[in-house]
Amino acid sequence: MKVVTGVVGNDIHVVANRLIELSLNARGYEVFNLGVNTYLEEFFDAAVETGADVLMISSLNGEAEGWSREVKLLKAKYKNLDDIIMMIGGNLVVGTGSAEDIVPKYKNYGFDIVCHQVDLNTGLDMLEELIKERAIEVSNK
Amino acid sequence: MSLLQEEREIILSNEYVDTFDFAEVAEFVKNASKDLFISHHFKKKNKMLVQPRGGFPTYKKQFALYEFFVDANVDVLPLTIDSNTRLNDYATSKKMLRLSEENDVDMLNGYPLVNHGYRTTRKMITNFNKPVSLRHGTPDARLLIETAIASGIFEIEGGPITYLLPYSKNFPLDKAFLYWKYVERVCANYSKLNEPINRESFGPLTATLVPPAITIVIQLLEMLLSLEEGVKSFSVSFAQQGSMNQDIVTGAVLKKLAKYYAAQINCSDASIHLVYHQWMGAFPMNKDYAEQLINMSTVIASMVGADKIITKTREEASGIPTKEANAKTVSNTQYTLGILNGLPNVVDEEEEEMLTLQVKAIMEAVFNDPADTLWRKVFNCIKNGIIDVPFSPHIINHNNMITIRDAKKNIRIIKRGNVPIPDRCYAYDKAQCDLTKDTTSIVNDIIHDIGIMQ
Repeated sequence: MKVVTGVVGNDIHVVANRLIELSLNARGYEVFNLGVNTYLEEFFDAAVETGADVLMISSLNGEAEGWSREVKLLKAKYKNLDDIIMMIGGNLVVGTGSAEDIVPKYKNYGFDIVCHQVDLNTGLDMLEELIKERAIEVSNK
Repeated sequence: MSLLQEEREIILSNEYVDTFDFAEVAEFVKNASKDLFISHHFKKKNKMLVQPRGGFPTYKKQFALYEFFVDANVDVLPLTIDSNTRLNDYATSKKMLRLSEENDVDMLNGYPLVNHGYRTTRKMITNFNKPVSLRHGTPDARLLIETAIASGIFEIEGGPITYLLPYSKNFPLDKAFLYWKYVERVCANYSKLNEPINRESFGPLTATLVPPAITIVIQLLEMLLSLEEGVKSFSVSFAQQGSMNQDIVTGAVLKKLAKYYAAQINCSDASIHLVYHQWMGAFPMNKDYAEQLINMSTVIASMVGADKIITKTREEASGIPTKEANAKTVSNTQYTLGILNGLPNVVDEEEEEMLTLQVKAIMEAVFNDPADTLWRKVFNCIKNGIIDVPFSPHIINHNNMITIRDAKKNIRIIKRGNVPIPDRCYAYDKAQCDLTKDTTSIVNDIIHDIGIMQ
């Protein structure tokens, strides 16, 4: 499984990004880490280039909110990205907000998994579950 | 006209500079009060110098901050520069300065020195007649340091590695080396006129599990790059690491090796100082705990034998500190230093030997790089991972070294990547840690190790 990951926008908070890379490696994924300060186009370009199965975007300062509004529009311009698993996590709001409000909003923006202030391993467990579900769906078809 | 002077004239004929008078500035430095030079205070060696951090957008607020600091018995005043100026975006800092002046709300996270100009800022600096240290984070600091020295700021922090790897994702590292070469030369030239201008490296780097060997190597290399351009007064530095013993060992090895390598390039006449940063990692939200942490840092700085300590505040976890909180730290730190008497002399020979071996092995690898100049050797070694800074956001950094804390909270290297840590030291470091766990538990340990003071 190939994962493209990075921190969206002008956010330079790097610590969690490195830990995500370590944890993904530990779970056996092939990781393409774009690091901090990454724009949406760069994420999608990298996903196409690597043939990624998962696009995992993170945000610490909350600016993901602003960028995520453009996800659907931008993704539609790319071919071959229809089956990619879209995941976002971190602090998904500037200031404070509850997961109840935030999760549906981001699902609407086009994300399959939304982790607002969720522990790293819990988030990665959610990803594994979704991958399993999708595999069953495919084999049932 | 020398090439350097030609470059200076290009840099200073910037639209944001109101005619730079080279002759007048040289005359000012020549006749400036000795009290403005931190190098002069280091020579007197009376006590550990205390320096806070701090910068506000407007002249008025910066002046008021300095008044608070002076009342708190400060030794060295800081001038922290705003982030737009750090990225050479003087147009934005100009606009934000005007908004700050008109609305009484701070729109910048520091003092936009280039926009204020040296004629204005010099009035403030000479008024207080204390040494001022320039704190920034600028890869291209040419215009900034010209303005600083012309203002009477005779200590310049930073360097091509320490101001780039922790702060930037893709500013070209080779350019940073060349821009800092200019800074070193200008500092060296002004140093001939009066007391020397002091250069200080930024040892804390990412302040996230950086092993002492990497910190020391980078301190030594920035020192050498500075001394080889003619700088005569230099401060190496590092930040509290989490284990008192490791701090004492780091301070001892750093001091010894700085002298050793300075002598290797025939620069023993330069004076080298040691600066200690109070804890630079994540702070506790509880402000009383934060004060306890700060106090403990001061004790360790004394054990380390630092020449200067740079302080934090009880408000660290919540944002830019108020001038009241900032001044409070200064007077508290002075109080602690005043009552710390009869400190024991702690020496850990085994740890010192291990650390010295690590540093020397990396330094040797740098010197053995085939490039023709030191900066190119260093550049190549960062590029090929011989120097690897944990948690640097920069694309050139390898991020293949993994560190963790042992039971005594010493930072240990458990994966060396391309860094030439000698086998014996590598085995020693790993033997201190429990590596039987699976990677997921180790990642959890790393998360815990980063936040140990919270």
